[in-house]
Amino acid sequence: MSVPLSQMWAVASYVLRQKLAGRERYPLVLMLEPLFRCNLACAGCGKIQYPAQILRKHLTVEQCLAAVDECGAPVVSIPGGEPLMYPHIGPLVKALVARRKYVYLCTNAILLKEKLEAGLFEPSKYFSLSIHLDGLQEAHDEAVCRDGVYVDAVEGIKAALSRGFRVTTNSTLFDGANALRMREFFDTMMDLGVEGMMISPGYSYSKAPDQEHFLRTQRAHDLFSTLLSNPKRRWKFNQSPLFLQFLMGKRDFECTPWGNPTYNVFGWQRPCYLLQEGYAATFRELMETTRWENYGRRSGNEKCRDCMVHCGYEPSAVHHTFASWRGFRDTVQATVTGRY
Amino acid sequence: MLLDEVIDKAFDYRGNVTVVKTDGSETVGYLFNRNRDAAAPFVQMFDLDGAGPISIPYSDIRTIRFTGRDAAAGNSYAAWLRAKEAKAAQHPEKGSDPTPSRGA
Repeated sequence: MSVPLSQMWAVASYVLRQKLAGRERYPLVLMLEPLFRCNLACAGCGKIQYPAQILRKHLTVEQCLAAVDECGAPVVSIPGGEPLMYPHIGPLVKALVARRKYVYLCTNAILLKEKLEAGLFEPSKYFSLSIHLDGLQEAHDEAVCRDGVYVDAVEGIKAALSRGFRVTTNSTLFDGANALRMREFFDTMMDLGVEGMMISPGYSYSKAPDQEHFLRTQRAHDLFSTLLSNPKRRWKFNQSPLFLQFLMGKRDFECTPWGNPTYNVFGWQRPCYLLQEGYAATFRELMETTRWENYGRRSGNEKCRDCMVHCGYEPSAVHHTFASWRGFRDTVQATVTGRY
Repeated sequence: MLLDEVIDKAFDYRGNVTVVKTDGSETVGYLFNRNRDAAAPFVQMFDLDGAGPISIPYSDIRTIRFTGRDAAAGNSYAAWLRAKEAKAAQHPEKGSDPTPSRGA
């Protein structure tokens, strides 16, 4: 069990409040992208390909906080772009922690050690540094198209842990990923002392430079089954165990595209973190005017056909946990036993 | 190509475009949004200085020219592979695979 109890309780009580209020659709994690600028150009990323004037733009802290308040999700994930390049990242995190939001700052960690030494952040149970690592050194440096990034990230992890920060990792897996090497990666991360790991298959961004190595559904099931079968007790995953079972093909969920809504310099992104089919000016407009029936596997939308990404299916897993006693029991069982 | 199709193509384009309006004026910038379901369908842009959003109704658009470089047409992954190959050729003792698979 790697998600702290206080965080579990915050999410559980939030979901129960939504259910008691009879809300059919509610957000769990706000994906807050304050900028698109990045100091890497990863092959599988379709987030940063914009003209210069767009890459120079960023949200103000006030815009970020207004989005957080309007959305109301208990968890705020800050991806990007590279959030450590956002000039107001320190004050933003401080303000989110003051709002008792559970914050995941998703960083490639190239700048992490420098920012920590500058005293940009303070440790908090509400604040987790989520380090992007797609595997051990060779695999990760290849995924991010630059040598030396893995070493920098590990240095950043050590620096953060030594200062008392919560540290997790997030890994995106592509076709060709070596399950045995990934299991070694899990061991290495646990040896380093990270709190938990997050894993997800990649999404075939139409704008990503590499279009050849995305996992299709059956290959994803095969890979994650090999990866997570007989998991070591020491491995901790900072995500729903039912989502891991979904990745292994043991469960089937429908996508919950509104579960992780995305806000960035363009507004509220329709319909999800991965697809860009337009923008709404307000969160309410996003929720009320997006044609949700056009998304998810059942819709027949070919862009959704092979998608198994966390931002659509982890909310489904969480919803399942609280939809029935059986779902709750299955989650508790998998969490306690560490078997997926 | 119909105007709707041109707008969809511009919306999907990751470079600057020039929107030519029915009054003959032009707006240059990045077209990041289009809403064809609104009562009065519109596009939204940021100009070359990043100012905006500038909303333009479909009814005011004569055509759109694709005048900026497509930022998604880059070849960072291909460049990375070429660099890997060159490095492997210079240091064959390291035995780098010239065509490494992602995440392998």
